[in-house]
Amino acid sequence: MAEGLPARRSRTRGARRRLLLPPQVVQARHRFVTATLVYLRLAAAAVRANMGQPLFLAVRTVAAGLIVVVEVTAVVLLLDRFGTIGGWRAPEVVLLFGLAFASQGLALALGNRLEADHLSLLVRKGTFDQVLTRPVSPLGWLVASYVDARYLGRLLAGVGAVAWAGDRAGVAWSAGTVALVALAVVSAAAVVFAVLLIAAAFTFVSVQGSEAGSMLVYGGTYLASYPMQIYGSALRLVFVWLVPVALAIYVPALVVLGRQGPPGLPAWLAWLTAPVSAAFLAVGGLAWRGGVRRYVGAGS
Amino acid sequence: MSAYWAMLLAGFRRQATYRLAAVTGLVTNAFFGVVRTAIFLALYRQQDQVAGMDLGDALTYVWVLESLFGVIWVAWFWETAESIRSGDFLVELLRPGDLYLRLLAFDLGRSVNLLAVRALPGISVAALLLPLRLPASPAGLALLALSLLLAAVVGFQLRLLFSLAAFWTPDYRSLWALLFPVIWLLSGFMVPIEYFPAVLRVVAEASPLAALVMAPVRVATGRSVALAVAGQLLWVAALWLAGRWVLALANRRLVVHGG
Repeated sequence: MAEGLPARRSRTRGARRRLLLPPQVVQARHRFVTATLVYLRLAAAAVRANMGQPLFLAVRTVAAGLIVVVEVTAVVLLLDRFGTIGGWRAPEVVLLFGLAFASQGLALALGNRLEADHLSLLVRKGTFDQVLTRPVSPLGWLVASYVDARYLGRLLAGVGAVAWAGDRAGVAWSAGTVALVALAVVSAAAVVFAVLLIAAAFTFVSVQGSEAGSMLVYGGTYLASYPMQIYGSALRLVFVWLVPVALAIYVPALVVLGRQGPPGLPAWLAWLTAPVSAAFLAVGGLAWRGGVRRYVGAGS
Repeated sequence: MSAYWAMLLAGFRRQATYRLAAVTGLVTNAFFGVVRTAIFLALYRQQDQVAGMDLGDALTYVWVLESLFGVIWVAWFWETAESIRSGDFLVELLRPGDLYLRLLAFDLGRSVNLLAVRALPGISVAALLLPLRLPASPAGLALLALSLLLAAVVGFQLRLLFSLAAFWTPDYRSLWALLFPVIWLLSGFMVPIEYFPAVLRVVAEASPLAALVMAPVRVATGRSVALAVAGQLLWVAALWLAGRWVLALANRRLVVHGG
C-alpha cells in the first residue's frame, strides 16, 4: 500500500493537470503529435525507398558531394592566381562556399520536389489533386514523402569545407563558433526553402515552371559564396534584407572569422539572422498557401 | 538535303514557341552574369593581367559563357536518353534518311533559335554596358558567329554520345551525376581554363570540352582565333565519327523495354 501510494498520487496529479488545460489545447496537441508521427513515418518510408538501391544512393550522395569539392577547387585555383578578393583570402572564401552549399543541401533534401520541373509534373499529371484529398497538409506530405537523402552528401561536403577552411583561416573553434555555423546553415536553408515555396506558388499559377526560381535558389547561394563588399549596393540590399540568404551566410561568417563587415553590414547583425530568416520563411509559407488556393487541377 | 533543312526549320520553330522560357532564361543569364562580373571586377582591382587575361578578356568570358549557357545545357538535355529508355527512340530508327544527320538538324534548329533569342541579346547588351573585347571587323564577327555555331554542334555531339549510354544502362542519370562535376570544371564553366595549373590546363585544352566555351571566348577576344576554330572543326569531325560509330553499335544491341 505504501509503495503504491506515490504512483497513485502522481496519477491523480497528472489527471488534474490535464483537466486544467482547455480541451482545444489538448486536442491541438494530440493533432500535432499524430501529424508529426505521420510525417516521420512518410519520411522514413522515403528514406527506406532510397536505401532499396544502396549503390544508387551511394553514387548520388558521392556525386552531390563531388560538386562541392569541384566548386571549392575552382575558387582555390582562382584565388591562387589573384591572391585575394575584396580583401578575403582563399580559406575565408571557402568558408562562405561551405556554408552556402551546406544550407543548399539541407534545403534541397527537404524541398527538391518544390522545384519547378518536378512540381509542374505533379500538377500536369493530376497527382496534386490526390495530394489535396489526403488528410494531411499538402506541403507536409510533399516534403515528407520526397525527402531525398542524397542531398545530405552536399550538406556533409559543405560542412567539411567549412571545417577545412576554418582550420586554414585560423578559426578558434569553440561552442560559440560551432553554434554560429549551425545557425548560419539552418537559417540560410530556411531562406532557400522559402524561395522554393515562393517558386512553387508561381508554378501553381503558371503550371509550366520557370527558371526564375532556380535562379534565386542557385544564384542566391552562388552570390552569397563571395564576400558581400564586392557587390553593388542594390544587390547587397536585395540579398541581405529582401531574400536574406547573404545575411544568413555572410554575417555569421564575419563573426566566425573575427572580421569587420563593410559599412552598413556590422558583425553584430548576426543576432538578426534567425528572426529575419524565420520571417522570410513565414512569407514563403504565405506564398505557398496563396498558390495552393489558386491551384486549378490541370491533370487528366 | 531539303529534308534535313526542313528538320532544322522545324527545330527552330519548336523552340520559338517557348517564349516565357526564353524571357526567364535571359533574366537568369543576366543575373549570373552580373554576379560573375562583380567577382571579376573585384579580382582585377589588384592586378591588370593574370595568366594572359585582362579585365576585358575576363568580362568577355563571363558574357560569352552566359550567352552560351542555355545552348550547351539545353532544356531538352534528357530527351534522347529518356526516349531510348522508354523505347520511343524506336520510331526514330524507323524513319527514313540518315539518323545522325536528322537528329543533328533538329537539335541545331533549336540551338540556333536559342543563339538568336538568348546569346545575341545577351552579348549585345553586355557589350554596350561593359568594356568587352569583341571583334570589330565583319570578318571577325562572322568568325565569332561560326565559332558559336560550332560550339552548339559540339554540344549536340557530346550530348548524343552521353545519351546513347542509355542503350547500355537505364541508370544514365547516376552516370551523369558523376561525370557532371568533372565536365563542369574542365570545360571552364566555373573559371577560365587559362587560370588552371599547367597539368590540368593541358588536360582541359586537349579535351573536346575546350570547344564548348573557351574556343568562342578566344575567338571573341581575338587571341589565337585560327587555332580555336581549327580545334573546334577537328572536334566536330572526331565526334562525328565517334557518334556514328556508337550509334551503329547501339543499333545492333537494341532492346526495347517499352510496350
